[in-house]
Amino acid sequence: MGIEKMELVSLVGKMDELDRCLDKCCESGCFHIEPAFSSVATANGLTMLNEKNGYTAQLKAFERLASDLGIELKETDHSDYAPRTPEEFEQRAKHIGESFEEQNDLKKEAMQKISEMTGAITQINHLKGMNSDFKEIFSCKYVASRIGRLPTDNLEKLEYYDENFFFIPFETQDLFCWGMYFCPEAEKAIIDDLFRSMYFERIQLPDFVEGDSDEAVKRLTQEIANQQTVVDNCQKDIDIISQQAKEEILKAYSKLIYLHGTFELRKKVGFLSGKFYMKGFVPKKDKEKFSQLMQGFDSLTVTFMPPDTDANCTPPTILKNSRLTRPFRMLVEMYGLPNYDGFNPTAFVAVTYTLLFGIMFGDLGQGFLVVLLGLIVGKKINKDAGSIMKRCGFSSMIFGTLYGSVFGYEEVLDPVFEKIGIDFLPLKAFKETGFILITAVGIGVGLIILSMMINIYIGFKQKNYEKAIFGCNGIAGLVFYSSLAVGLVGTMMFDMKIMSTPFIIFLIVIPLVCIFCRVPFSIALKYKKFRLSADEEEKMTIGGFIVENFFEMFEFLLSYISNTMSFLRVGGFVLSHAGMMLVVMTLMDMVSATAQPFVLVIGNAFVMAMEGMIVAIQIIRLEFYEIFSRFNESDGVPFEPVGVNFFAQTE
Amino acid sequence: MLDGLSSNATVAKIRALHGKMLTKENYKEMLTKRSVPEIAEYLAATPRYRETLKDIDPMTVHRGFLETLLEKDNFDAYIRLCEFQQLNKDRFFDFLIEKNEIECVLMLINSINTGVDRSYLNELPGYIIKHTRLDLLELSRAGDFNQLMKLLRGTPYHKPLVRVPLSDDGTVDYTECERRLRTQYYSNIISEAEKAFPDSQSEEVVRMVKADIDFRNMINAYRMKAFFGFSGEQIKAHQIKISNIGKKLDSYYSLETADQMLEWLCRNVIFTEVTDSALIEVMMQRDKFRRLEHRIYRSFNAPVVLYAFVQLCDFETSNITHIIEGIRYGVDPSYIENNILIC
Repeated sequence: MGIEKMELVSLVGKMDELDRCLDKCCESGCFHIEPAFSSVATANGLTMLNEKNGYTAQLKAFERLASDLGIELKETDHSDYAPRTPEEFEQRAKHIGESFEEQNDLKKEAMQKISEMTGAITQINHLKGMNSDFKEIFSCKYVASRIGRLPTDNLEKLEYYDENFFFIPFETQDLFCWGMYFCPEAEKAIIDDLFRSMYFERIQLPDFVEGDSDEAVKRLTQEIANQQTVVDNCQKDIDIISQQAKEEILKAYSKLIYLHGTFELRKKVGFLSGKFYMKGFVPKKDKEKFSQLMQGFDSLTVTFMPPDTDANCTPPTILKNSRLTRPFRMLVEMYGLPNYDGFNPTAFVAVTYTLLFGIMFGDLGQGFLVVLLGLIVGKKINKDAGSIMKRCGFSSMIFGTLYGSVFGYEEVLDPVFEKIGIDFLPLKAFKETGFILITAVGIGVGLIILSMMINIYIGFKQKNYEKAIFGCNGIAGLVFYSSLAVGLVGTMMFDMKIMSTPFIIFLIVIPLVCIFCRVPFSIALKYKKFRLSADEEEKMTIGGFIVENFFEMFEFLLSYISNTMSFLRVGGFVLSHAGMMLVVMTLMDMVSATAQPFVLVIGNAFVMAMEGMIVAIQIIRLEFYEIFSRFNESDGVPFEPVGVNFFAQTE
Repeated sequence: MLDGLSSNATVAKIRALHGKMLTKENYKEMLTKRSVPEIAEYLAATPRYRETLKDIDPMTVHRGFLETLLEKDNFDAYIRLCEFQQLNKDRFFDFLIEKNEIECVLMLINSINTGVDRSYLNELPGYIIKHTRLDLLELSRAGDFNQLMKLLRGTPYHKPLVRVPLSDDGTVDYTECERRLRTQYYSNIISEAEKAFPDSQSEEVVRMVKADIDFRNMINAYRMKAFFGFSGEQIKAHQIKISNIGKKLDSYYSLETADQMLEWLCRNVIFTEVTDSALIEVMMQRDKFRRLEHRIYRSFNAPVVLYAFVQLCDFETSNITHIIEGIRYGVDPSYIENNILIC
């Protein structure tokens, strides 16, 4: 239950083996790649392989094909798909595309005709009252006429043109105005150009349209039906092409995703004199497996080194957890991973979270339902969330038994305890209010002290004496806080006179002085030097030091108090839970016997949903602010083994 | 004066609209299309443009008209937002209308300079005509710069343009006109913000406007050095100058080569190494894009959020235009993807 040990591994080989080596790294599933060189090394002639990814264009080409053919992209086994180079993929895409494009062009052409003819019908309907042959209108010798639609916004512009034309609007809609313009035949080119620039959509009446409007509409409708048949036939052909090409497109796309992904990894690979240089981290437990995978190369040299060998690389963090505590890593990751030299707080979170949930949401019946809900959530939605719910549910059942509460019935378990002979149980929330609140604060004090002890352990491990000894969460802070707690509890609750002068001087004042002077003390201890500031270049005056540390001390003291008091909410929620269930019971008493089961079920469901969520969130808050803030440094780098993820990017 | 709390509803409304904007996935899907009708059809099916494009026929719509419709949609959204809580009572909120007016005046100057008849009227976006204080249609009657000055008399655009020298062939220095108009534009919105809003609010607005000016100046300076070989002094003379801003850029303007400028931008603006000079503008715009999104999520000031939103809408339209252009000319989708602003 710590942090997985890592090894830094360096891979050097000839360029012709790079692709195979990257394949193996992906296959291993345990190689976290780092950039091969720092910028300093680049200056010495070592360069990064920052090549253009040749597979990008092909990836897009296959995405486009899939989109055109209505194929949903999904990950497919591509082991038997032969093409590998971008050129080979390009050829395949072209081959599949050719047969599709032929049909698609036919389909588009037919659709275009349908659109135009539909427009023509609309326009002919506008000309219905004329009762004259269209051919006569459009074949005038000196006058050119055009029908179509003009964007309504451009209507106002027409009167500002000096050109020789006039526009007759038929019908003005939101976006377009249907109409017709006339101009001298000799100037039609200029006028057409003018109207085109205003996005006039001209409707061309097909040659076969003649006679009056009724006859024209009839012929157009017939032609639209013909073109629709063409569209349908083309679509049938496209569907057949799609079915035939589906398998190849899926395989090609999956392989392209893989090749594109591995090619992207080359950006982190260094190059010098025909050799590639690669480095990264491998978990120590996988060292053997990784070494074996890397055998069989002619030129590859694999060197394992301690993780701190290269100052430019930060070892990644993998949290090692037992089955019992593993689900809670979700909460730790939410806060931020600890660094490689840090402390894995998952077990601590698992215990405290479960315990606090049980205390705050203690009910045997509701806890049981939370366990059942956890089973469903774990199976259907999220395994970790389900597991957390199961653990919390059990804890809730245990504390529910101690409180004697089953679905809000507070007296159900009384006879059981009586029979066993335990007279101090069940714990009645409203009768033991003081005890519950004091215990909550006590739990808080205990958890804060435990957090400080973890911080001291991490501080010594990292040889950070300011953190371990003199800091507000170090030994000085621990002595001060625990002495004050013992002193106050002893004096106020047990009437013991322990706050004597030596007690105050040695256990309260001296630790406070240590915290106040934590920076110079830790520098003196580590470097045997006297300096007021941790930053060597900063010139800190004594006055500045006192002012700065006075305010910091003020903040520390305030945080001791506020953090401790914050745990009062634990007791508060015990009372609130009991209070809410009391409301449900009161409501039950107010309704008829038939309605009582409904009130009970709805009341319990409401309390479970609302309070369950609030309690879960409040505990996360306690963990993050009151506990984690004392020791957890969330600057760890997550372990991300190289590999290729399948992300289909089309509709 | 705008009360801070009263504009919360506008902020919420803008955030809701922002949530409907196209995402990285939308752009990726658009890149799989092969033609303008397919893009039009795709856009018409998105919640963002469903209403705007409901009446178009994807098979026949003109590319230019499609782009105009997207711009119109952004402009209409801005007008609706300003009217929602009557924010348009403050002159500051005319910033987009004024920007469009300037674009139109510049378009007309360009049309006069090049002597291309009617091009102004053709390109004039019809949807802004009824919202501007300038009679944009009447301006189309200007045949030369003097006539334009006569038509602009009494408007805020007369003063900055009247002193621009007229050359013998009747043209004027377009870049100088642009610089003067934009300088006045930014000065106006800064002073309007300072007049209309409480200190904390106006500080945030002014900070954002100044960042906008710096951004424009930095890109222009790089272009002047890289493509025209301007000296530091020449670059400085062509920048938008507002008092108390941009002084830190003096050292940037005086850099000897475009490569040094590129390195400066990488080190001080985008904080990433860019080796391909063609990508620097894209990277800078992406950086700006991220900052604007940050403003939308973090700020509670309606003027700030609206100003940021309008710019994000412009970025979105520019992305769609890029994709449409790329697809029309058969550009490799991965190349288009590298050049659009998706973060």
